[in-house]
Amino acid sequence: MSENNEKKIHGISAEYESVDSLLNACRRVRDAGYKKTDAYTPFPVHGIDKALGIQPTILPWIVLGCGLTGTVIALVMQIWMNTYDYPYIISGKPYLSLPAFMPIAFELTVLFASFGAFFGMWALNGLPRFSNPLFTDPRFDRVTDDRFFLYVDASDDLYDSAAVTELFKQTGGEHINTVLEDDSPDKIPKPIFMMWGLVIATSVVPLLIILKMRVTNSDLPRFHIFFDMDFSPSKDAQQGSTLFADGRAMRTDVPGTIARGESGYDLDFMTGVQMDKLSAVDKPGAERLVRLTLGPIGPQDEGPADSAEEEVGEDDAPKAPGVMETIPWLTANPLGNSREVLERGQKYFGIYCSVCHGLNGGGNGLVNRRAIKILPTQKTQNWIPPSSLHQESLYAENYAEGKLFSTISNGIRKMPGYAGQIKTKDRWAIVAYVRALQQSRNATLDSVPSDRQEEIIERQNQVQQELQEQAEAEKAAAEEAAEN
Amino acid sequence: MSLAIPNGLDNSSEKPGERAPLVLGDTTYHDITESVCKVAERKPSTSWVIGFLISFALLQWLTVCILYLIYTGVGVWGNRSPIFWGWPIVNFVFWVGIGHAGTLISAILFLFRQEWRTSINRAAEAMTIFAVACAGTFPGIHVGRAWLAFWLAPYPSLNLWMWPQFRSPLLWDVFAVSTYGTVSLLFWYMGMVPDLATFRDRSTNKFRRFAYGVLSLGWSGSSRHWMRYEKAYALLAAFAAPLVLSVHTIVSFDFAVSQVPGWHTTIFPPYFVAGAIFSGFAMVLTLMIPARKMLGLEQLITIRHLDNMCKIILATGSIVGLAYGTEFFIAWYGQVQEEQFAFLNRAFGPYWWAYWTMVTCNVISPQLFWFKKFRTTPWIIVIISIFVNIGMWFERFVIVVTSLSRDYLPSAWAYFTPTWVDWSMLIGSFGLFFTLFLLFCRLMPVINMAETKATLAKQHHMSHADKH
Repeated sequence: MSENNEKKIHGISAEYESVDSLLNACRRVRDAGYKKTDAYTPFPVHGIDKALGIQPTILPWIVLGCGLTGTVIALVMQIWMNTYDYPYIISGKPYLSLPAFMPIAFELTVLFASFGAFFGMWALNGLPRFSNPLFTDPRFDRVTDDRFFLYVDASDDLYDSAAVTELFKQTGGEHINTVLEDDSPDKIPKPIFMMWGLVIATSVVPLLIILKMRVTNSDLPRFHIFFDMDFSPSKDAQQGSTLFADGRAMRTDVPGTIARGESGYDLDFMTGVQMDKLSAVDKPGAERLVRLTLGPIGPQDEGPADSAEEEVGEDDAPKAPGVMETIPWLTANPLGNSREVLERGQKYFGIYCSVCHGLNGGGNGLVNRRAIKILPTQKTQNWIPPSSLHQESLYAENYAEGKLFSTISNGIRKMPGYAGQIKTKDRWAIVAYVRALQQSRNATLDSVPSDRQEEIIERQNQVQQELQEQAEAEKAAAEEAAEN
Repeated sequence: MSLAIPNGLDNSSEKPGERAPLVLGDTTYHDITESVCKVAERKPSTSWVIGFLISFALLQWLTVCILYLIYTGVGVWGNRSPIFWGWPIVNFVFWVGIGHAGTLISAILFLFRQEWRTSINRAAEAMTIFAVACAGTFPGIHVGRAWLAFWLAPYPSLNLWMWPQFRSPLLWDVFAVSTYGTVSLLFWYMGMVPDLATFRDRSTNKFRRFAYGVLSLGWSGSSRHWMRYEKAYALLAAFAAPLVLSVHTIVSFDFAVSQVPGWHTTIFPPYFVAGAIFSGFAMVLTLMIPARKMLGLEQLITIRHLDNMCKIILATGSIVGLAYGTEFFIAWYGQVQEEQFAFLNRAFGPYWWAYWTMVTCNVISPQLFWFKKFRTTPWIIVIISIFVNIGMWFERFVIVVTSLSRDYLPSAWAYFTPTWVDWSMLIGSFGLFFTLFLLFCRLMPVINMAETKATLAKQHHMSHADKH
């Protein structure tokens, strides 16, 4: 009992059986002058506000404020994002197209107003509240079922327990109960609290890891949770494919494709043949040549290999005089022989030709050296070494400029055609450079302009000296190796 | 008629000058509490367990399909050029449409003081939320790289350095559907708090008392609380009502703002909204009639409720039928060749079967509700409402697929064929829906007890007044 006496008294409650008796009691309590009163009902009872003297709520104003905030946020967001920060042009509408921004403005108005109504109502009601002294009375459980309760708070100015009890009795209140402080713990139980903390702590871990990865550098490859099309299953050029009828992954050009900068040349320039003369002698041959040069290079045509094979190689035994003998090749380089042309020819010879033919045209490029090196171990019997360009049969008097151009373009024996890789003009430049290379072996000092002869002699001596030094160094190294 | 309805349970007759009772029998407040709470308190029935297991299995199958889709790519669907929207969007619009009846029943009927809503609004709101959950799944996975779906939100992105395009109806849709889902959830939950407090106060087991105690936020039934609560509820209803209309209007903008023949029409917003209400009410009936039987709630969900809902189905079904006719008229009257072709193609093209299924289910079958016998016989209502559900799915299929499959460029025409993944996801979405709904039936108050008691109080008050 002493414990009970120490407990704080919150107020007095009484139970009523019907709405009408409750409303009647409410009016009596209000008229008696009590202010801190409340009725508890299982459903909203109409007229109880008046009966108890409850003031209207300010909730609608809160909701209005929230709604307007939503409108403003939506409009400012859309206008700033789509008009100023990242303007898009969409179907010719102005950047600030207000009608198009209305739907989202409406939606956010409703969303914010609803948040205002929902959270505002709970806040004004002082809920959630997980401890309430009224709930200590087990009969109070029926307030959410079928009973009505009236309550007068002890902090009311007129509060007097005897008088309130009397008033309740007069109005038909039953089970009048003094509401005492709830002594059950109102703290959240520790295990739940700890579990909650644990859940929050573990859920932060992935975020922290992501954050750390964002701000630090790493030399590891990117970690792919999703591949994001980073590894597309594309084919390499030489791979097969079931997707196309010819079984190749690599696609050829559409027939008649002309590369940029390759148009506007006459046929002679493109073939290296005097077409007028050829068509006078061999019309079908000329037509075929035109088709070959302009049309697709592929199996559906009599390919370039065809014509290349017909071409009499310089090393081959001379065949019976055929069409090739009679082809009227161009005998002069249409680009001429200027320094510019030669330098261009040197450049492209260096890029495309020298790997096999060697920088000096001697036929001993890197590819050939490698081939010879692995010849004893590998099955390279069918290796045909690249021709030296310094054979008499390839000199201009035996091998016309046009024919040399055609060989570069269409290939010969193992050598593929380079028409697809080297532009027409550059192929002619290479022809000019090859002639210069050929001439360089047979030239005398007299063929150099007199003002540059001295320069040549000086350079010659320099090179010879270098070669000598190199040879001596090699000799010394060999002797040293032998001694060891 | 009286064969189907036991004596004393027929409140569907109209007597001039007299209000038909909405709660039947000599029901007391406590009876209402008892009949609603026992649903959640007794052991689950066998039919519930079987239904739940089936639904849950379907839900797992949906999950597997979604993982398969994400792992493999959207090629697992039947979507192909030019029908890029395909079934995912058909399903999205279907579920969003169903999601409209709940809030409509709650909000609009509340604002019009239609008290018969009280015993069906809770389940209808729950249905809304679960349908929106199903609906939200589909655009989420349809974006292709589902793990980047958050790019739809306007957030300051360090990867993109750009903002969403706010003049696109597709973005309006993101805002509309997410706002709708959120507001519906608040509305539903807020409406449930007093009833959750009832559950709390009745619970005998410590765990239930704690769980419902937390969920009911310490609700005590204080008159001051009720006053603010009712104000907030009315405000939410007032927002939710135009929201319902705006959401399906915006969904229809996804189509109407484009230029695809068959989509580019101004009739779409009202037509879609009517269709949504139509399908939503049909789904409510499909769910409620078996539920009221199984849960023993015939006194609260009365024949009169079913009758009223059938009338709404009849009205909205006729609006939908009128809209179908208007579309054809405008196509003819507008004299645009592509539009004319689009509509002829709908009815007589390769998808004629879908079109006529739609017309049969949506326009013809609800006309049976002109007859009172059909409106008051539960099993007939269930059959017709299932027809309506099927018809409304086909309506979205017809709109999405026929228009896309044949538009301006005949060289790009194609025929859509669904794959097993399409089928699985449609069926799986029903698994998701029913899993949530069955859990709701077990764990939450299926009927708004507080409001039903208020209706009963009013009914008592009136009968008192009559006697005086």
